[in-house]
Amino acid sequence: MKTKIAITTMTVGLALLFAAQLPSGSAQESHVGTLTGNAASGKQYYKRYCIGCHGPSGDGQGENAPWIDPKPRDFTAATFKCRSTPTGTLPTDDDLDNAVTRGFVTTNMPSWNPLTPQQRADLVAYIKTFSPRWKTDKPGIPIHIPAETAVTLQSVLHGRELFQKMECWKCHGPAGHGDGPSAATLTDSKDQPIRPYNFSTGSRFKCGETNQDLYRIFMTGVDGTPMPSFADVIQPNDAWDLVHFLRTLQEMHTPELALWKKYASEHASEIKPIGPDAASGGN
Amino acid sequence: MPRRFPIGAIALRWSLIAAFCVACLLLLVTFNRHAPTAQAAPLPSLHVRAIPAFARKYGLPCSACHTAWPELNNFGQVFRDNGYQLGNERDSPIWQNPSYFPITFRITPNWHRESTNNLAVDSIPGGGPGSTLVAGTVQQNGFDLSGMDLWSAGTLYKNISFVLLPSSDQNASWHFESAFVRFDNIKGSSWFNVKFGKFELDNLISEKRFLFLSNNGGLYQGYHYDVPGTINDFGYGDNQLGVEIAGHSKNSYTRYSVSVLSSNDGNPGFVSGFGTPANRGYDVNLAFSQAFNAGSLGLQRIGAFAYIGERPTYFETSTTPDGSGGTTTLQLVGLGNKPFYRAGVAGDFFLKKLELMPMFMYGHDNPYLGAGISSTSALPPGAKPPAWAGGFMEGHYYVNTQNVFFARVERIDVSQQPFVNAGFPTDYGNVRAYSFGYRWYPIMFSRAGLALHSEYSIVKSNGFLPLSGDGSGLQVFSTANPVWSSSVMLGFDFDF
Amino acid sequence: MNRKLLCLLPAAAVIFYAVKAGAGAPTPPPAGGTISGKVTYTGTPPKMKPIDMSKEPTCAKQHSTPVMTENVTTGPDSSLQYVVVYISEGDSGGAAPTETVRYDQRGCQYLPHVLPMQAGQVLQIFNDDQTSHNIHPLAKVNPEWNKSQPSGSLPIDTKYDKPEFIPVKCNIHPWMHGYFVVLNTSHYAVTGQDGSFSLKGLPAGKYTVTAWQEQYGTQTQEVTIGASETKTANFTFKALPY
Repeated sequence: MKTKIAITTMTVGLALLFAAQLPSGSAQESHVGTLTGNAASGKQYYKRYCIGCHGPSGDGQGENAPWIDPKPRDFTAATFKCRSTPTGTLPTDDDLDNAVTRGFVTTNMPSWNPLTPQQRADLVAYIKTFSPRWKTDKPGIPIHIPAETAVTLQSVLHGRELFQKMECWKCHGPAGHGDGPSAATLTDSKDQPIRPYNFSTGSRFKCGETNQDLYRIFMTGVDGTPMPSFADVIQPNDAWDLVHFLRTLQEMHTPELALWKKYASEHASEIKPIGPDAASGGN
Repeated sequence: MPRRFPIGAIALRWSLIAAFCVACLLLLVTFNRHAPTAQAAPLPSLHVRAIPAFARKYGLPCSACHTAWPELNNFGQVFRDNGYQLGNERDSPIWQNPSYFPITFRITPNWHRESTNNLAVDSIPGGGPGSTLVAGTVQQNGFDLSGMDLWSAGTLYKNISFVLLPSSDQNASWHFESAFVRFDNIKGSSWFNVKFGKFELDNLISEKRFLFLSNNGGLYQGYHYDVPGTINDFGYGDNQLGVEIAGHSKNSYTRYSVSVLSSNDGNPGFVSGFGTPANRGYDVNLAFSQAFNAGSLGLQRIGAFAYIGERPTYFETSTTPDGSGGTTTLQLVGLGNKPFYRAGVAGDFFLKKLELMPMFMYGHDNPYLGAGISSTSALPPGAKPPAWAGGFMEGHYYVNTQNVFFARVERIDVSQQPFVNAGFPTDYGNVRAYSFGYRWYPIMFSRAGLALHSEYSIVKSNGFLPLSGDGSGLQVFSTANPVWSSSVMLGFDFDF
Repeated sequence: MNRKLLCLLPAAAVIFYAVKAGAGAPTPPPAGGTISGKVTYTGTPPKMKPIDMSKEPTCAKQHSTPVMTENVTTGPDSSLQYVVVYISEGDSGGAAPTETVRYDQRGCQYLPHVLPMQAGQVLQIFNDDQTSHNIHPLAKVNPEWNKSQPSGSLPIDTKYDKPEFIPVKCNIHPWMHGYFVVLNTSHYAVTGQDGSFSLKGLPAGKYTVTAWQEQYGTQTQEVTIGASETKTANFTFKALPY
């Protein structure tokens, strides 16, 4: 009897000892698609690929940061440019994975697509360990993007009115060249000078390249930069009109630009210039 | 009476030096284990490639593109396949600060010891009366330099890349290792790229970007092997002159290339690897590889290649009086081309931190090349096409971004002897090679690189001199016996 | 029988009114102590500069004389305006009040320049101008967000859950600077032109009073007050001319 008790006690004791040694359970995780990333694996990938710019503490103070413009993302601030969630909220794990996979065009952030999806999911999990906000807050709810409306001349023209009325031209300039009246004094949230997007350069935005991406960019804002969210002030249908107009500012072969060019050649005298003294839309 | 040491003085000195080396290595390993993560042959044509200029240009640490430089990881492979571009609309040189210069230097000052046996050596040094040739071992050791790479690579413009790589041996005797222009992503597609000039063949396991540096270890035997006696100068690991059309999927999981090359083994000036005039022939190389994502294990890649070439069997000549009663015969152009081929499969497998790279290769030369006679003559009876099969298994263990262990086992078996080797043992020309080593990268930053390199290699060549060239200029004492050649190397490999 | 009932009526009335009076008697006011004082400076403060609003004519025309920068706003007798004085220790804070606080963008200025509020209290932001503004509070502890608010659009309702001093800016009009001061206490005040403040309704106890000025940082004082006692706590900041 005594031996039975002794054995039971020892077994229980050993079990408890083992339990104490086991990993504490909820290490930071990520869920990207069907994959689960874990931060412990992500840490070794971070030290190989990311640490030179983003720094060992994830604050964007890597050894190369002084020579890079724009500066590397400061993960400790938990403020991210490209999200599917509203401004001020945390991005989803898929948003972070998209950013890592796509990279940021015209910056030093490469496209990490050559890494395997599991490696990227692990990196996302590790990135989330840099800020305590991931423990206290949940990611925002991704905004609903309705089906795109038809690309018509009406849509493009209405989008042009919105560009005037929403005063996008104040930063982006009347032709979207990033030369609006407020462009020269823009600073980001770290007080570094920053330029607004110049639509006439290239075909890619920092946060994507499709019409859906464009919709998402101005409806969620680009956090950490002067670009605000227009979700409270633009209706979804109007937002698609604005997307269609913005495409006409890019030097690409798009149906939007074709419609606009045809209209502009036939109705040149009716087009009011965008800017402070335009009669339509006020200011 | 003082107690005498039980071992000879010379052996004692060697033991002390060996112990010193081992102690240094252990000390370095010990310090490195506790160190915080730091923020990373005389074979004339065998140099190894890692380029901090790219790290400086893009602000990435060496470890971003390299498993352990110079070996590439998949991110680096994509960068290379894109024509050394990240594809961020900032690759063109106009986007760089004018003070950025795409130039990199690499050299490895080292201490090494070479030893080769079965060499014909005078029994009496100086070869005086009564001296005969005996089988001897030639051993040499000391501090030395490696060859040096001085290379420039990058973009001339968006989607136009270049490499210019003059390379020297340890005596600063220079040659062009690589020099090419590449048109990348033609028509916006990663599947169509054209490279023109002198370049490394598109092999799955690159000899230029591997981790071995010693005399005997710093080459893949199969990449430079021709059955002894054949008149083929081809080495699969030699850079070749020609044009390559290549393509890859966006993440380089699928890769292919087709090259048309001159049949001169990459020697400029219409000269062959033997120094004789090259022929007017053209070779073709085909390569393909496919990678598979194995989840947390890592990326697995398999590939295959085939090289079909031709070499001359005689020369157009000009025989003229030499002005002192005799004649001189000048060789002008190689003629009488006869074909050969090499084919193989290779793999690159990752099991988390362990990388395994098997490679199997088969070589086959035309019997005329094995007989060394003009194609206009009849083949002697019994002349068979020289053929060989070989392969290696290489392994790397990446402790972390700054420590890697590596080892390789290689063998080549001659399956068919050429005519010129009639009467030799059937295993004449076989090779066995074993190497292992360790590299420690005390710094892993984006401006320059440094590695402490230690390596041991030993090669057994049956009856012929090792491909490393150790003992070159000498004769093998007995073609019936193996020649063992070993290298020990300890060096500082730096790359700026 | 009828006479007896009639006699009861006045008694019933008296009882009825006495009960009513007793039930409705007002409770005595809480014994509230007060900490008050003045915030002044020594030394030479920087000169405030006039703001050039010519890039926004709709705002420029609202000001007959140019608006001055507000980072160090002084008043008569070396007083400092826009200093937030609050109880940093000794006060448990309690639930956020239901009243909202209001922030206006008018004439391309933030009114008030410094807006204190309690953590969890609803903040309403209005755009009273003819031009668009984007409201970009640069929070580091709370979430940082950035919203466009065109002319004529609805007010933005929001709140902050954690105490923080949050600089507010408008990217379109870079001269606009303000502060949200999110506090854990309901006892706070912002000094006016004369630099005076008064923290009322404090139960007896030991308190740490903190004064915060956006350029000169914080100063603290410990004040112990008895029930319904009034004590003075003055703060003096050392001003530098830059």
